[in-house]
Amino acid sequence: MGLKTLLKSGFTLEIYFYKNNRAAFLAMFLWPYLMLTLILGMGHLFGSPSAFRQNVRMDVDPVVYYVASTLIAMSALSVMWGVGGSILWYKWSGTLPYMLLSPNRMSTTLVFSFIPRYMLGVLIQLAEFAPLIMLIEGVSNGLVKIGILALAATVGMIPLLGFSALFASFLITIEEETNVLSWLNPLILLFSGAFYPAYLLPYWARLISQILPTTYTVELARLAAIVGAPPLAPITFFIGVLLGIALVYNSLAYLLVGYGEKKAMEKGAI
Amino acid sequence: MILTRIKAILWLHTLRLWRYRWSFLNLVLAEAAWVFLFVLGALLFVPKEYLGLAVKSAFWVIVAWNVISECSSLIGAWMNFFISIGMIEEHILRNISPFKVILGRVVTSFSVIFVTLFFISAILNGVFETNVWSINDPYLLTLSFIALALQGLAYGVTIAAISVRTSVPHNMLEIINFAVIGLLMIPLEKVPSLLAIPFLCIPYVASAHLAKVGASGAQSYMLLEALVISLAETVIMLAIAAYMIKKSEEWIRRNGVRAVGFF
Repeated sequence: MGLKTLLKSGFTLEIYFYKNNRAAFLAMFLWPYLMLTLILGMGHLFGSPSAFRQNVRMDVDPVVYYVASTLIAMSALSVMWGVGGSILWYKWSGTLPYMLLSPNRMSTTLVFSFIPRYMLGVLIQLAEFAPLIMLIEGVSNGLVKIGILALAATVGMIPLLGFSALFASFLITIEEETNVLSWLNPLILLFSGAFYPAYLLPYWARLISQILPTTYTVELARLAAIVGAPPLAPITFFIGVLLGIALVYNSLAYLLVGYGEKKAMEKGAI
Repeated sequence: MILTRIKAILWLHTLRLWRYRWSFLNLVLAEAAWVFLFVLGALLFVPKEYLGLAVKSAFWVIVAWNVISECSSLIGAWMNFFISIGMIEEHILRNISPFKVILGRVVTSFSVIFVTLFFISAILNGVFETNVWSINDPYLLTLSFIALALQGLAYGVTIAAISVRTSVPHNMLEIINFAVIGLLMIPLEKVPSLLAIPFLCIPYVASAHLAKVGASGAQSYMLLEALVISLAETVIMLAIAAYMIKKSEEWIRRNGVRAVGFF
């Protein structure tokens, strides 16, 4: 089974999932706007955009700022559930042994079958937010900002795939059925500064945020919210950091998922 | 006999709560982390000098929402599990209403609500150096939360009753729950006076308004109207729930369970 087959299977799975579960498909369109409306609504009821600019210490548009946050939060969650959490679903549905017996390595199957699903999801969300961004920023500036968001979601996915595969290896080795990811995921988003900038967190929390790939993805995406043309230097800086982290996490994942797989087979923990 | 049955139902849910203690903690941590994440985002809009007041208002809106959403998701949506393990027929054969067993989930849902809220309040008090528990009118607050809890229970049981006859899209229920928090946040004073009464008539809104007044000492605007509407809504929602239970039980006895539930 080649990588092309894995990519095709991931794409087909997603299309059939949407086709057979229309309520989930509709919900996928509604969730990002619900999250955005909740934060912006609460913010405007309790405070003001000028206080927001003062608190984040940047000249940004709050709406685009939270569009960037929501997009990255939703896509990061999708990777963490789709790669890290999928092990639990395979375990519960009894398909994990088949995954382990498939010709490709577990990490390869998990990651490559997920990529098309992720890209499809990001594309749909970007298309959903595009009219709003263009309404605020104008067409030409809006297109540049959508480009930055697309870049952040794509480059940010690379280290996050390895990072989530590490979770998969952890979940495969522990003999625990509880879905620890359900509380770990919001914590990861919290430390990444998804809705509250990481640089405003306490010192100890900032240390944690520095090792999370999502922190840099969120920062890169938020450059789209800066009023006026986005600066090029921080964009290239964050891309560099993300690619560096990707190398570390993906190498670790390649080694550790194989180890976790071996351990689980030895212990019969599948 | 009735007492023995109630004892058995409560024992069942208490025992399950203990056996699933890690899942329970998991849920509490997840709920608290999500709420904290959103509250932090919204508080970025608040000038530093008003942070204490805003945190308190946000906390009590979250409490109200938590009561409503946990009742529908932990009580109503449990019907799915109950149907799938074939327990409806088992209970009907032994002349026990499956809806009474479902109602026993108050043990689980209120345990989750209480622990989550204590956890969230501890985080908010610690991080923002405020006291979200300093309450303006404890009697009004208690009354409003009794009304909210009863309305939430009635809603949870009503959707459970519907789900034995037809399918209920779980995603849509989650979206409705999420949309409710938006309605609860809107201050009544900001609604045009002509629309204030229709706005209060939306389920949960009147009770949540009473909770806001009771907790933070917000303006006692339209207090009497909110009180009357809240009590009337509670009675109506409970009556609808009782009617739906009766109709669904009759339907199950005639046609059997459709085993659709939530999806």
